[in-house]
Amino acid sequence: MSLCEAEKTFILHGVAENFRVDGRDREGYRPIELETDIVQHAFGSARLRLASTDILASVKIEIDTPLPEKPFEGKIEFFVDCSANATPDFEGRGGEQLAIELANILTSAYSAPQTLDLRELCILKGEKCWKLYVDILVLECGGNLYDAISLAVKAALFNTQVPKINNMTIDGENVDIDVSENLLDCRRLNVKHAPILVTVCKIGEHCIVDPSLEEEQCMMSSVVVAVSNNHFSTITSMGSLHEETLFECLNLGHKVAVRLNQTLIETLEKMPQNQDVGFLK
Amino acid sequence: MSAKQQLINKIGLRLDGRRANELRRIRCKMGVFSQPDGSAYIEQGLTKVLAAVYGPHQTRNKQKAQHDACIINTQFSMAVFSTTDRKKRPRGDRKSIELSVLLQQALSAVIETDLYPFSQIDVYVEVLHADGGIYAACVNAATLAIIDAGIPIKEYICACTASLANDDVPMLDISHQEEILGGPTLTITALPMSEKIVLMEMSQRFHLDHLPKVLDKALEGCKDIKEILDEAVKDHVSKIGSATGWANASS
Amino acid sequence: MSQTIHIRTASQENRIRPLPSSQKNHRIFTPGEEVIKAAHTNFVRGHGTYEDDGDLKASVAGVKEQVNKLISVRPLKSRYNGQVGEVLVGRISEVQQKKWKVETNSRLDSLLQLSSVNLPGGELRRRSIEDQHMMRQYLQEGDLISAEVQSVFTDGTLSLHTRSLRYGKLGQGILVKVLPLLIKKCKIHFHNLPFGVSLILGNNGYVFIGPPINDKEGNEGGFVQNLEEVVPKETREAMARVRNCILALAKNFRMLFDTSIVFAYEESLKYNVHELLLPEAMVDVAVLTQQRLSMLENYESH
Repeated sequence: MSLCEAEKTFILHGVAENFRVDGRDREGYRPIELETDIVQHAFGSARLRLASTDILASVKIEIDTPLPEKPFEGKIEFFVDCSANATPDFEGRGGEQLAIELANILTSAYSAPQTLDLRELCILKGEKCWKLYVDILVLECGGNLYDAISLAVKAALFNTQVPKINNMTIDGENVDIDVSENLLDCRRLNVKHAPILVTVCKIGEHCIVDPSLEEEQCMMSSVVVAVSNNHFSTITSMGSLHEETLFECLNLGHKVAVRLNQTLIETLEKMPQNQDVGFLK
Repeated sequence: MSAKQQLINKIGLRLDGRRANELRRIRCKMGVFSQPDGSAYIEQGLTKVLAAVYGPHQTRNKQKAQHDACIINTQFSMAVFSTTDRKKRPRGDRKSIELSVLLQQALSAVIETDLYPFSQIDVYVEVLHADGGIYAACVNAATLAIIDAGIPIKEYICACTASLANDDVPMLDISHQEEILGGPTLTITALPMSEKIVLMEMSQRFHLDHLPKVLDKALEGCKDIKEILDEAVKDHVSKIGSATGWANASS
Repeated sequence: MSQTIHIRTASQENRIRPLPSSQKNHRIFTPGEEVIKAAHTNFVRGHGTYEDDGDLKASVAGVKEQVNKLISVRPLKSRYNGQVGEVLVGRISEVQQKKWKVETNSRLDSLLQLSSVNLPGGELRRRSIEDQHMMRQYLQEGDLISAEVQSVFTDGTLSLHTRSLRYGKLGQGILVKVLPLLIKKCKIHFHNLPFGVSLILGNNGYVFIGPPINDKEGNEGGFVQNLEEVVPKETREAMARVRNCILALAKNFRMLFDTSIVFAYEESLKYNVHELLLPEAMVDVAVLTQQRLSMLENYESH
């Protein structure tokens, strides 16, 4: 799908007027629907719908050995899969490049120690730690993938239950870990500062957030910022930007990320338990 | 031997409390997504599958286009988190390529391909949660998605698994746990209305004498599944049709 | 004050579910089901059916339609099946020699022959080699056009024409894609709505919303686009509202035609335009529109 000049002009003028095609202002965000605990095999999961963008995120936990240079820390790994259900272009290995790009930006956003305290995941110094596998499945694309994915990941991490360890026996080289069998006997991760990605698009002379598919085609350049507790943990820009515009983008991104984060946490905290919605309704 | 005997206990119940000829609960929905031409979601017990259909549309690869039929392109994919142990890759391994081919063969048997020259139909299935009978659930989901896309098919195509418990009792719709515990698994894809078998796949060996009764059982399962799907389709069509007020329907 | 961000939990209440608008009960046929028994041999096989041992069976899920002896079953959703004379909106996907390929939500790309468009300067001008070279200047990839189906080829390809002043290249505006079944078949598909918005309801499910059309402007075969002109704010707001109303109706599977859109627009005025993106507002607008439509129907039938 490619837009014609006239449609692009219409979008451009709309952004300049601060009245976008669907009536939103430049900072406006489309309504989001969120659901957690949707994958039974996982330790934590979430499904997020932003307009027609549909993301499924799941967290699996395994026991691993910490890196020698970081003996006190656990590990986290991101994997994104763009399902062909979203668009036939993703068939086979078609979605791989986008998937790697998305996984990389998440990795770098979570790499700062202040975002997610990986020391929480340490079991035994230098010997054993928990490894979080965060797997993201893109089921439908309706624009603004970066933001949607980061929100889904944060929700899934919030939902994650890390098993408790009853006791450990160390016998020379071997470490025996006795993981609590009780499913209720778990602890949650502290994800308060987990970063949120916001894509800021420059269309014409102005910047917008949450671009739709059509708006993504009109953008000249974009900046993806990861904001965690009022700090930027990653900034990636695509296309050329003036320094002033860049700061304008960063400001906007920061402002929106703080509001998004607040709303997300509020929603997660009052998330009803054991609902059975999923894809059926 | 001892493992097999445990599959059905003395009062005739299976590990998950079902009887030998009972299916797991099937729940489904058509039209889950807005962008594909057709989509469906199905749950068979804990096995969960999403299917999306694109087309019929112009073939992307012009050399492949056929002047008298459309090509059916399928892809089977499994979410990395769908199994208890995390998978490394969602697709591209031998098993998923094989399942793609099997799905393509099954669908070719029912889709009226000759109606659509120079066209292509893409069918994508995505397993979200695997708990036995993955292929069967994929076929059933694909059927619903194809009906949702309005693509003409001869009749429903359903798939079901069956096995042999306690060496002589055929049992239906095998769960993952039962798959592991032993016994052969027979997967059939059938046209339940004309009682034709499109595909049959069997794992492990069992005596030829047992085949007819297991096959019968599986075919019965396909018929039951067809009834459930048919009800869901009718419900879906009548709901949407009455929402539009049947405005463009003439009779 | 900037607009609030809504993140809500998925629950059964805030999902849109189709509400019936008619109590009529239709028999629904599903693939493989018998439509007519072999005993009644007096029928002609139509779309969505096949013959099996002399019986006529359905191959899609839908309702039966009968025109004299022709029996067909029409599915709810499918790719657009064009018929001669229908109006549609499409997007140019390829420029070829002497013809354009147009994406129209059909099974195969539609064709627009160079000979079936009005070129600037005289309606019945001969098409020269120069015209062939100029094709991309008239219409290029990505351009939206409105056109009429001229003929349908045996393989199902639609051949389009724009030989009327109403058709041609579309200017600034919004394209909305809905299911083709939701477009009510009417005589007129071009509307100038009272609140200063022009609307093209393409039979293929593509709806184009534009600023009001000024009849006075000389139409040069519809190849001129004014990219300098800025659409005024009021018009823009009305267009965005119409867009969101159409999506609200479409999400609830309501038919789209001029009256339903005007009613939806009027009922939506209690919301801000961006609030119409919320599912509950969408349902509300659709329900209120339906009530007014049935009141109108009752009034007309008395």
